[in-house]
Amino acid sequence: MTRASRSAADACLRLTSWLVPRDRRPGWVAEWRAELAALRVARAGGTSSRYPSPMRFVAGALPHALWMRKEEWTMDGVAQDLRFAARVLRRSPAFTLVATLTLALGIGANASIFSLVNGMLLRAPGGIDAPRRLVQIARSYDDDPRWDNFAWPAYELIRDQSRVFSGVAGYQDQPFVLGRGAEAEQIVGQLASGNYFDVLGAKPLVGRFLRATDDLTPGAHAVVVLSHGLWTRRFGADPGVVGSTILLGGAPYEIVGVAPPELTGVEAVGTPPALWVPAMQHPPRYGQLPFTEWGWSWFNVFGRLGEGVTFEEARAAMDVVTARLREASGNETIRVLVADGIGLDPEGRRQASQLSALLALIVGLVLVLTCTNVANLFLARAAGRAEELSVRVAIGAGRGRLARQVVTESMLLAGLATLVAVPVVRSADRFLPVLFPYTLAVPVGADLRVYGFLASIGIVAGLLFGAVPAWVTSRRAMSDVIREGSSTNARRRTRVRDALVVGQLGLSLGLVSGAALLGRSVLNVRAADPGFDARGLVVAWIDLAAAGREDESEGRALYRRLVDRAAELPAVQGVTIANQAPIVGGHSRSTVHPTGRDDVRFEAERIVVGPGYFETLGIPIVRGRALGGFDDEPEPVVVVNQALADMFWPDEDPVGKELDGSAHWRVVGVVEDVQMRSLRRAGNPAVYYPVAHLYQATMVLHLRVEGAPLGPAVLRAAMAEVDPDLPLAAVADLRSALGASVGEMRTLGYLVGAFAGLALLLAAVGLYGLVSFGASQRVREMGIRIALGARPEALVGLVLRRGLALAAVGVLSGLAVAWALGRALSGVLFGIAPADPVTIAGASGLLLTTAALAAWIPARRAALVDPAQSLRE
Amino acid sequence: MPRPLGLTTLTLLAAIRDGTAYGLELVARTGLPSGTVYPTLSRLERGGLVRGSWEEREAADREGRPRRRYYELTDDGAAALREGGARVAGLAAVLDPGRAGSAG
Repeated sequence: MTRASRSAADACLRLTSWLVPRDRRPGWVAEWRAELAALRVARAGGTSSRYPSPMRFVAGALPHALWMRKEEWTMDGVAQDLRFAARVLRRSPAFTLVATLTLALGIGANASIFSLVNGMLLRAPGGIDAPRRLVQIARSYDDDPRWDNFAWPAYELIRDQSRVFSGVAGYQDQPFVLGRGAEAEQIVGQLASGNYFDVLGAKPLVGRFLRATDDLTPGAHAVVVLSHGLWTRRFGADPGVVGSTILLGGAPYEIVGVAPPELTGVEAVGTPPALWVPAMQHPPRYGQLPFTEWGWSWFNVFGRLGEGVTFEEARAAMDVVTARLREASGNETIRVLVADGIGLDPEGRRQASQLSALLALIVGLVLVLTCTNVANLFLARAAGRAEELSVRVAIGAGRGRLARQVVTESMLLAGLATLVAVPVVRSADRFLPVLFPYTLAVPVGADLRVYGFLASIGIVAGLLFGAVPAWVTSRRAMSDVIREGSSTNARRRTRVRDALVVGQLGLSLGLVSGAALLGRSVLNVRAADPGFDARGLVVAWIDLAAAGREDESEGRALYRRLVDRAAELPAVQGVTIANQAPIVGGHSRSTVHPTGRDDVRFEAERIVVGPGYFETLGIPIVRGRALGGFDDEPEPVVVVNQALADMFWPDEDPVGKELDGSAHWRVVGVVEDVQMRSLRRAGNPAVYYPVAHLYQATMVLHLRVEGAPLGPAVLRAAMAEVDPDLPLAAVADLRSALGASVGEMRTLGYLVGAFAGLALLLAAVGLYGLVSFGASQRVREMGIRIALGARPEALVGLVLRRGLALAAVGVLSGLAVAWALGRALSGVLFGIAPADPVTIAGASGLLLTTAALAAWIPARRAALVDPAQSLRE
Repeated sequence: MPRPLGLTTLTLLAAIRDGTAYGLELVARTGLPSGTVYPTLSRLERGGLVRGSWEEREAADREGRPRRRYYELTDDGAAALREGGARVAGLAAVLDPGRAGSAG
């Protein structure tokens, strides 16, 4: 055996030994040295054939060392760490409780928002086979891009001429009055093509679904499939209802089947349909085109990709379909578009992504904030544990070992917090719709993906707030063993805590200014004049189409009786009727142009109004007169708003001018602009038509109530006296509707405001802690200064300066956060710039004041130090 | 032990049963590579099936070499070996019924 190979084997052994955990290394090295020595003796003894060469033998040391390392890191080691961590956390219950709740807030908020994103964007609607193979199909125009539905003949063409789809189906929401008399209620169902359920690949719970043969003749297929919800609520989940008859809009329909509970249509948001009837059962439309003709688009269409067809291939194939559709419709710019998947249309997806991104940013900030805070708590506590950690180093724990211990503690804490967050996330489907009532009707229930996210956010949080303390603590413990109480390290640890506090201050500034922007937006919207008097205005929907009342003259008589009865109610000062209610809904538009000028066509708001409309809503008449009642407008006349008058006849008197649209109209009056659709948008150009000339089967009763409020039940009862089979579809009061229209803004404001307050408090506490710590380190110095005659104010300034310096850095770094959050909020803000300098300056001022206060308390204490006492210490 | 012992582990246990030994002797007795023998020994020791102990300093000093670490079976180890042996015998009977029949 050569000397060289001997030293090579020894060197290998020495190298490998570094892999072995420190505390077991000496024993390991001793054993392998002895074995190697024995090997050399044995081989020298001539029995070398039974023994491997030393290098080969020593190669076995590597798996051995790795095994010991792994053993250290897994099971027993971790279990030991966990036991120890549990003991540490139990020993300081207050710390554990505060840290767990803080973290649970951050983790729970993130996972709840994720469950929302999951419901809106990630999860396909339930009860559908292979939902990813479905595509949405929509109508657009080359010169007027949009995402819209189809006329019935267009649907038939796409269904019959697309080779890339295994099936093309469609649907549209349709309100129905279900039952009659006291039992009557208005529900929203869907008109569906006969192959709707086939294309979805759904299976009925009871009975059968609709069939292709239900699609043949208008009005000839009076069959209905119940949703699981309606079946349980109204029919006590009785399977025997299949084959029986219900009244829809006064007409009998045979129940043929019931859908499974998970099947709620193809849309991710909104109210799920209560039932499905064949599209051929579409109610007739008064004075308009039959629903099976071109020229009236109403059908939402989707398809299932054929076997082996990719989405891209389907998209390419739409060129052919577009060409055929142009030929058949006579429109040269029409185009067929497709979008991957169902749930939300592209615009809905864009809005949902925007809202998700905004919420994710806010809750992300909260998570960072809570993690920073817990990290700070850990660091503060680490000072008290210095001795324990030093002892552990002294008995052979490596730095990695110590860091691992701290990380185990933080992971255990994060685990606890995650468990606490589980019920929060589980109830997200209850509290999120309350927080965001108008943006959301999303089934946000927690599924596996949400729990997966919850677990990962817990792990991320644990690592996030565990890493810094682990690094700082282990480093400090190591050097403390070398030099007892090193001042360099104390300073370094303070520097890390400085950075954390600066970070907290920065986050606080961002959140405070975001909350202020939202608060000012809400005030701006409140202060905005909607153009009508919302106080005491109650609206109620009457839907004759849903009730199957097709006769126009009967309808007019009924409207008149309803208005007359409502006027008799106590406290009702005025009643009128219109086809839509401001802000709440029912809006429609139609194209008009001044007579003789075809070049200035405009899609103006189309508002059909009954007698006394302007008076009841408090809309001022600027010129001319108002519109008359049901019978007293023999000529086709209209009233326009100021915006339309300014657009069509600037610098001219609009009264007496003529308009062309659905008919030939003469303008008799001009009213002030009203914000019909949204408080955020200025009044669109609008035309008011008299109900005497434009009959509508759906109208909204408007009641001006003064004094005592008018309950919906009283109104419903009064209307039922007039016609027991005609339930009011919905009753709303305009004042709360206006409130709700800023609901999202207000909710976001509360949310951000609450987090901002929390952030500010945490930052103030952090700063207070740091400044007190700094002051306590300088007690001797203070004593000397006082003894030498320094005035207390000067000393206060000395300590305060450090706190204010940190606050200033925090504010500077927070400007970036404020700017980013402002930009993210810009879609929600109203009447204020995302980077409004006054708001940001105010927020900075608030932050600096809070910081000054937090630093002043310890500074004041430091200045009151007794010199004799401090020098003795 | 929740998981039944593998053949390698049983071989090693059997080699230790034949007499208290240090690692190299076990390498020689079993013909297993050192990279298998030592980690397995550590694992068995942690599991309580073998007991390792350093030899007396005088013994090593007398021969002018470093102290060796010797391994012996514990009671648990002996029981586990018996159990494992029975299991292997059962397996052998399944694989070769004729021979098992003549043996029985």
